[in-house]
Amino acid sequence: MDEKKTTPLLDELEAGEWPSFVTQLKQAAKKSKMAAGLVQQLEASYEEKIGHWKHGGIVGVKGYGGGVVGRYSDDPERFPDCREFHTLRVNQVAGFFYSTKKLRELADVWDKYGTGLYNLHGSTGDIILLGTDTQNVQPCFDALSEIGFDLGGSGGALRTPSCCVGMARCEKACIDSMDINHNLTLHYQNEMHRPAWPYKFKIKISACPNDCAASTARSDLAIVGLWRDTIEIDQDAVREYVANGFKLEENVLRRCPTWALDWDAENKELKVKAEDCTHCMHCINAMPKAIRIGKERGAAIMIGGKAPVVKGANIGWVLVPFMKMEAPYTELKEIIDRVTDYWAEHGKNRERVGELIDRVGYATFLKAIGLEPVPQMVTAPRANPYIFWSAEEVEKRG
Amino acid sequence: MNYIEVNGVKIELDEDGFIVEPDLWSEDLVKAFAKTEGVEELTEDHWKVINYLRDYFKQFGIAPMIRKLCKDTGFSLKEIYDLFPSGPAKGACKLAGLPKPTGCV
Amino acid sequence: MARTDFGPPDYREMLPPIVAENYGKWLYHEIPQPGVIKHVSETGAVLYSVRMASPRLVNSDWVREICDIAEKYCGGYLRFTTRHNVEFLVSDPSQLQPLLDELKARGHMIGGAGHAISNVVHTQGWVHCKSAVTDASGLVKSVMDELHPYFSGKIKIPARLRIAVACCVNMCGACHCSDIAIVGIHRTVPRINDELVAKTCEIPTTVASCPTGAIRPNPKLKSIEINAEKCMMCGNCTVVCPALKIMDPENDGVSIWVGGKVSNARTAPMFSRLAVPFIKNNPPRWPEVTDTVKHLVEVWAKDAKYGERMGEWIERIGWERFFKLTGLPFTEKHIDSFTHATQTFRSTTQFRF
Ligand code: SF4
Ligand code: SF4
Repeated sequence: MDEKKTTPLLDELEAGEWPSFVTQLKQAAKKSKMAAGLVQQLEASYEEKIGHWKHGGIVGVKGYGGGVVGRYSDDPERFPDCREFHTLRVNQVAGFFYSTKKLRELADVWDKYGTGLYNLHGSTGDIILLGTDTQNVQPCFDALSEIGFDLGGSGGALRTPSCCVGMARCEKACIDSMDINHNLTLHYQNEMHRPAWPYKFKIKISACPNDCAASTARSDLAIVGLWRDTIEIDQDAVREYVANGFKLEENVLRRCPTWALDWDAENKELKVKAEDCTHCMHCINAMPKAIRIGKERGAAIMIGGKAPVVKGANIGWVLVPFMKMEAPYTELKEIIDRVTDYWAEHGKNRERVGELIDRVGYATFLKAIGLEPVPQMVTAPRANPYIFWSAEEVEKRG
Repeated sequence: MNYIEVNGVKIELDEDGFIVEPDLWSEDLVKAFAKTEGVEELTEDHWKVINYLRDYFKQFGIAPMIRKLCKDTGFSLKEIYDLFPSGPAKGACKLAGLPKPTGCV
Repeated sequence: MARTDFGPPDYREMLPPIVAENYGKWLYHEIPQPGVIKHVSETGAVLYSVRMASPRLVNSDWVREICDIAEKYCGGYLRFTTRHNVEFLVSDPSQLQPLLDELKARGHMIGGAGHAISNVVHTQGWVHCKSAVTDASGLVKSVMDELHPYFSGKIKIPARLRIAVACCVNMCGACHCSDIAIVGIHRTVPRINDELVAKTCEIPTTVASCPTGAIRPNPKLKSIEINAEKCMMCGNCTVVCPALKIMDPENDGVSIWVGGKVSNARTAPMFSRLAVPFIKNNPPRWPEVTDTVKHLVEVWAKDAKYGERMGEWIERIGWERFFKLTGLPFTEKHIDSFTHATQTFRSTTQFRF
């Protein structure tokens, strides 16, 4: 049977400057029969322009309802070596920091129980261990738990929260995104590991409005750090930028969305009209040595972000414009609990929280979770007169 | 081909171990499945969940959402996992002979 | 039974000492050379982060290789970015050049910081997804083989540019908010295997799964039927019912989207919008896709102002000029027909002729 199989199409993807995933696959295939099977099946997909994974697959470990994604080849006779090719979602470290010791332990476990192939990381944030068979799933998890790695979320559950690097290495961090991430992850283990919700629920945390974790677009509940006092300007540093030929007028003053910045050429001073600044980050991004975030820091909570499936994409909406973020983040957890309880109760199968809000109306939703409306929640008030009034709000009629 | 033997009869299973022909479900099949899904002894509580799932499916043509299952049976999610260590979808639905739960993961 | 619900390793145990000591104390950063970010702390500490391209789909040898490097130069710690790059964190400045030299000697690429094209966020594709229309990894490799000078800083661009690839219309991976997104699409209606529907599908769930109401039960066959005129080929029904098949190698392909962003800098976050509705699937190198993406980058880079993202640029010049400058045809396919469509119809006489 051991005739040498060729992969002419995939081989073309070994050429070129960008690091090649095919090279990674082929190296793994030398040590793992299952990885070799994958290479064969993938070559067939390239040739036939169609995927070869079967629908569904429901595989797991004891005590959890998620964290493992079952995969089967749709043509096990042709691709016997990857007939079973399950994935484990392993909860990443917050901020994606690792000691090499931990990574080596992980590699040793995965070489023993699987293909030795990974996604570092999956797009939700987990470490994805690609390819093992049913009988190795439980032993692999047992070995992972011994080195301190737990599984992430899948299915109708809280998906593994993820975050930007935050205070660990960013001067713009308004909140401790990594600590919030870690804290919430530990707090919501049950919600992650035992799916009981209508569909997925994602939480992502970015420590400033640059939103490096893409939280507003990609998570049902986004936590975005910001400050609510004035930006801090180091005038000497501004002068240095100007002296070095930095185009202050063109690159900063005119790009400030609210024209909040003025350059006093006489006194060589950069002035900000604090009440006009929308905390957009542009000037800070452009002149990191001279302009800093303010001191009164917290986060905005955004709700409903998601990709298009089922009823169209949303970029998250403002739920809370500003909230202090101090461990143990009790106020935040209360909001999360109220949101998820309401959604779990009222959401239909496969309805994300953003779609539920679209269906029932934001006002109804806010009332249900006990939040007062504020103007920051809308880009503009309604433009039609079809207002809902409840019986208590109108005079009783005879 | 995957199969499970019940009273000397081979019943076909899909790759995840769910029965392919829903009509071949029987109480003896549940007993056979129990072993593979880590259920040590089938108790009244197990049957309560299994019968609830089957009745719900017969009535509505779908499996209940998990929250509904907990509410209607009175078991907490944790208790469901204690009963069926592989969970309500992979464990309880399989024993109840329901179609394999789907969904994007 | 194994222990459960213990969560991931504590990040505090995974931080290099310089990061632990300066946590929350960083003052500013600069980018002394492409792919190298210098952070300065209020304690006076200086940290160099060296950003390395990764294929994302990697093996254990690769993991051990980056561990070797991090042990040699970074005290045994490293991190990954949200866009799958590896970062080597150097606290001893004398180690910076030797690290760069070694990475170069080993054939690794450095870049992706500041105004650059960073690594591509993408989905599994044929490698591991059951609903993949195309191969995300192959598309990324092909596109970045063309665009790597924008990663490594050999070609400078006015702002950052984020690319994402999703192998189906689920648009996982931030495709709906990326400067350029490549998304696999279907063009034909799902095919029904009636016998299998009867056995394996929850019919009410399948009917309810369709966002356009195109599906109805077919009681005679204990199956369902699809109204082809209403079907927008979203594939939702195929997710809940294994008996429906939407894969169609002759007709599936790739679409290209532009102008999305997630950052709040200057302007609010934006959706990506359709630029090219369909390009045929052409593995292993997808030349039509790579040409189009490269062209889009070039047209934008030539015309955009400092810090101006693709979407902001288009907002400034207008969509009519976008289609003119890029030479891409505007067709009926570009006009939205789904939920919220009317919000995209124009209600002003302000045009750019
Ligand atoms: S943060 Fe944005 S809005 Fe505020 S002053 Fe700077 S550029 Fe203007
Ligand atoms: S592909 Fe989408 S639109 Fe077409 S029938 Fe299925 S769910 Fe409905």
